[in-house]
Amino acid sequence: MGMMIGISFQSPTEGSPTLASYSRFFSNDLVLAGLARTVVMSGLVAFCVTVLAYPLAYYLARSTSRWRTVIFALAIAPELAGVVLRTYGWLIILEDRGFINSALMWTGLITEPLPLSKNLLGVVVGLTHVILPFGVLSLLTSLQSINPNLEKSAQILGASRLAAIRHIILPLSVPGIVSSFLIGFTMAASAYATPALLGGAGFKVMATMVYEQVLFYLDWPFAAVMANVLLILMLAAGFVGSRLESRLHQKLHL
Amino acid sequence: MRYTALCAPAIVSMVLAANGHAETLIVNSYGGPYETIIRERIIEPFEAKFGIEVIYDAVGSASQDYAKIKATNGRPGFDVVVMTASQSLEGCKEGLLEEFSPEEVPNLEHLSSVIAGVAGPCGAVHEVQYLSLLYRTDKLAERPNSWNALLDDGLKGKIILPTFQNVMAAYLMEIFSVAHGGDLLENVDPGFAAMAKLAGQSIGFEQSSSVMETYIKNGDVWAMPFWNGRAQLLVDSGLPVDYVLPREGSIPLLATLNVPKHAANRDAALKFVNFFLEKTSQEAWVTGYKVGSGRIDIEVPADIRAKQITTEADLKALLLPDLAAVATRLSAWGERWERDVVAAAK
Repeated sequence: MGMMIGISFQSPTEGSPTLASYSRFFSNDLVLAGLARTVVMSGLVAFCVTVLAYPLAYYLARSTSRWRTVIFALAIAPELAGVVLRTYGWLIILEDRGFINSALMWTGLITEPLPLSKNLLGVVVGLTHVILPFGVLSLLTSLQSINPNLEKSAQILGASRLAAIRHIILPLSVPGIVSSFLIGFTMAASAYATPALLGGAGFKVMATMVYEQVLFYLDWPFAAVMANVLLILMLAAGFVGSRLESRLHQKLHL
Repeated sequence: MRYTALCAPAIVSMVLAANGHAETLIVNSYGGPYETIIRERIIEPFEAKFGIEVIYDAVGSASQDYAKIKATNGRPGFDVVVMTASQSLEGCKEGLLEEFSPEEVPNLEHLSSVIAGVAGPCGAVHEVQYLSLLYRTDKLAERPNSWNALLDDGLKGKIILPTFQNVMAAYLMEIFSVAHGGDLLENVDPGFAAMAKLAGQSIGFEQSSSVMETYIKNGDVWAMPFWNGRAQLLVDSGLPVDYVLPREGSIPLLATLNVPKHAANRDAALKFVNFFLEKTSQEAWVTGYKVGSGRIDIEVPADIRAKQITTEADLKALLLPDLAAVATRLSAWGERWERDVVAAAK
């Protein structure tokens, strides 16, 4: 990391220290658009992962069914296949001549393929699938630590199941929600393979732009600036997440 | 007696090692059909002639290999690497690659001076390909002889383009620039204008050549720019495809052999480079992999000569941009590509 910070202050042509690459980063609209795209994509992925993982983690935390082990294995199973393999799987499903578009065109519902890949939608779908198991695991740990008797007590006192979840489980699982969101955000922001394959030429994010600078343009100082900005973005997300968690704790009198 | 029995194999091993029997050379290049052909046509004859064992490392592309050389300051763990003239120039400038001398690599003097000059002193050009127009023979009624054929209405939605991070894109833009009244470096406006029109024709962009070829294999794409060596492999595989060098000309891809500055087996590496540039080796490579050569004294069958760069006249017909100057413009051209070309495809 020290080397990366050092390289970011090097001139691409001379050896002298300079802020030229930082200046270029913050004055280039294409690069700033890539940064904005990274933030939006990562935020959406973190949100989708948390929302989808929550009910699954809740079921796994509370269920005593013999199917629990099967469901748990299925939730974690995507991690057994490589990221590239899973991403190609989504490409086969989402591309213009993929499964969904072919089926819709065959049934006559559409005449032109829907833009499901090579854009934000495709990348968010692919990354959500890749990161979902991590969201489930972080929420599961949090939900398992909540005493089930609290829910039972609330229901004995007349609360519906939904009200018990809303007023008891949800506030108590805030640390799990925050950690799921942070894991989703940071993993999505640093992901390379899925945005490269499902995003295509028109959807570039920081990770794919760093790759281009390192391998094609051979401008390592500029790549280091991008990587440093990405790192600061993740640190900022972590800081905001921890502050948010402590505020919610105070607000909910936990 | 027991000591003698135990020590004898060790002593034999040491003597063999001291005599050079354990000399090895690590060559980094490509996998797939390339690996099969290079092993058969170059590596095995080299091993037989010099008694040097070649370890073949097929991991990484030319740009990844160059990044590895740069990151390790010339100690990447391999002794010879196949890259391109662009990386040869950059590596020479950065002091990361060995400069070849005629004393150590005598066969360099047999290369065309024009081609050798493009790659610089650190790159030994062992193969010349050119950007060809690859097309489906079962879909196109006529053989396209001009790059402008890609702009025909009949090919709307039937072509695919490389992303700018595949060097084919910059070369195609330069070819269109020259064809439409511009030049290779300073006035490339006509090239970008043509590429924007072409983007409107295309079904999208792909970075990897291997992904691009899947589109023409399955018939979704009917024509596209492609390196002629890979195009020839598709022709040989029996697909209904063929390729042409259009009349406006083309830019070559000069594949080079390079030796990292601090290669562990430098002497063996230089022997390998020289061996690959031998007349017989070049003939074996050109007829095996079906590409062109920087040596114009080679003798190859007429059918190969007809489609490959093998003569002085072939070389003169090529457009040869100053690759060092192209490298300084790539970043600006990449941004312009995003604004003008990628935007036009949406």
